Amino acid sequence: MSRRPYLAMFLILPAVTVVFFAMLIPLAYGLVMSLYDYKLGSESRATFIFLKNYVRFLEDPLAIKSLVITLAFTGIALSCELMTGVGMAVLLTSIPERWSRILGALYTMPLLISPIIVGLIWRYMYDPTFGLVYYVLSGFGLDSIFGGLEKPGWALFSVAIADVWETTPFVLIVASAGLANIPKELYEAARIDGANAVYALRRITLPLLSKVLLVVIVIRGTDAFRVFDIIYALTSGGPGNSTLSLSIYAFQKGFDQYEMGYAMTISIITMAALVVVFVPLMKKSYARSQ
Amino acid sequence: MKQPKNLKLRRWLADSLKILVLALFLLWTIVPILLVVLTSLKNQKDIFTVPPTLVFRPTLDNYVRALVAGDFARYFLNSAFVAVVSSFLSVGLGTFCAYALVSLRVRFASLIAQLFLLGKLVPAITMLLPLFAILNMLGLLGTFVGPILAHTAINLPFVIWLIMGFIRDLPEDLEAAALVDGCTPMQAFWKIVVPLILPGLAASMILSAQFSWNELLFALQLTNLDTYTLPVGISKFVGSISVDWGKSSAAATLTMVPMIIVGFFIQKYIAKGTTGGAVKG
Repeated sequence: MSRRPYLAMFLILPAVTVVFFAMLIPLAYGLVMSLYDYKLGSESRATFIFLKNYVRFLEDPLAIKSLVITLAFTGIALSCELMTGVGMAVLLTSIPERWSRILGALYTMPLLISPIIVGLIWRYMYDPTFGLVYYVLSGFGLDSIFGGLEKPGWALFSVAIADVWETTPFVLIVASAGLANIPKELYEAARIDGANAVYALRRITLPLLSKVLLVVIVIRGTDAFRVFDIIYALTSGGPGNSTLSLSIYAFQKGFDQYEMGYAMTISIITMAALVVVFVPLMKKSYARSQ
Repeated sequence: MKQPKNLKLRRWLADSLKILVLALFLLWTIVPILLVVLTSLKNQKDIFTVPPTLVFRPTLDNYVRALVAGDFARYFLNSAFVAVVSSFLSVGLGTFCAYALVSLRVRFASLIAQLFLLGKLVPAITMLLPLFAILNMLGLLGTFVGPILAHTAINLPFVIWLIMGFIRDLPEDLEAAALVDGCTPMQAFWKIVVPLILPGLAASMILSAQFSWNELLFALQLTNLDTYTLPVGISKFVGSISVDWGKSSAAATLTMVPMIIVGFFIQKYIAKGTTGGAVKG
């Protein structure tokens, strides 16, 4: 364990350089250009307007709406994924390992698929004329109530379900790893003391799983908050802007309407919101592994 | 005598309920995937039957249309190129960096590691908009530079954290002994550390390549017709008003099957890998 500052610098520098060029410089450039009013391709005619883009965000009903939609999406997706994922992980630990390993591997499949393909799959599932979802719902007489991707009141929920399908396996895998680290003796002791399964779940499993769940919440929460791919594939923000997440809104402003300055402002506000909400949680969850 | 019988019944009920839930979740997971794979093998008429037919005459027509007429062979190669280069870069550079941070007593090592971790918080769109403008000014839009640079930068933080975890788990005396025996730190790295963390290197390589293979947003805006990756090609199908389901499900199947197969092999490392080592698998 020697101190070799030059060698260390030589080893660290390449990684830092990539992050510098691909992340830090763009971030700095984005921060500066969010103070300008300019269209894509006319950087030379950009006019400095200081914080007007940020004021515009606050006064833009569509921007506020997309913030609310993003929060709603994160809330729906994250809570469904946590409940299903942790529930299935607990269930998997209670069956013989041979089976839990095979089932666990099969359950992981959606996580390995590109989000754009998940979008494709679910557009097929949600198709009003031949989609499987409507077919199954019609068996319960619910197909006339369900609006799928077509009705504004239903679209966000439908998109969230597709996201739940894709990323519940992530929660399941990480929760399973956490469960495997809980000493079996604790459950033995609880059973000898006459505790039932619900008691063991509430007093042993969930408390000892809390750190792992914090990691899951940070990773899944930040991913859900910046959701782009699956919405892009399923609804592109429609119908009636009912699935317009912040990332989608920034994308549309920048690449469809060429208002780069304002688009960068939206994306920076998205990042700021993420940092404010998740950095404290992240500090807690990663402190242990330091 | 009544008590044990009741208990038996209750256990039987609990077990069947458990199996039912596990089976339903399996259906929920597999049916959508199976539906796409089956659709890719159907002719135009069979695709639109409700409920989807399970018995039909399979055809490879959709695959021929996707690969030959639809440029998907080229997208496949583009995706493979971007994934291989960017995952080699992120694992190579990330491993050097992780070794220095763990074993070389760098000043502010934990601060540097934490700053890398902050990179995980940057939304793709926040990085993409300015990167697009910069690459546009440099005339590099439409080349592989954009997606490779972006994918490498996004993978680096998690690779560094994952490999740091693997190096920390090594017995400390091992490296110390090598240094006492006269090895330089780099010799200790190549001869002792690298061979012992090979599973970690393989897992981070696969996870990085998988991210790159599946990534849409950067590839979508930073490439052009010649450099499209698979997800971009598929998004062009999905984006159109009337989707060509046969062709796009063939392309989707070709894109997802390799990742699903690879996933089975690295099952053990997914928990550790996707959380950057914060959760031990």
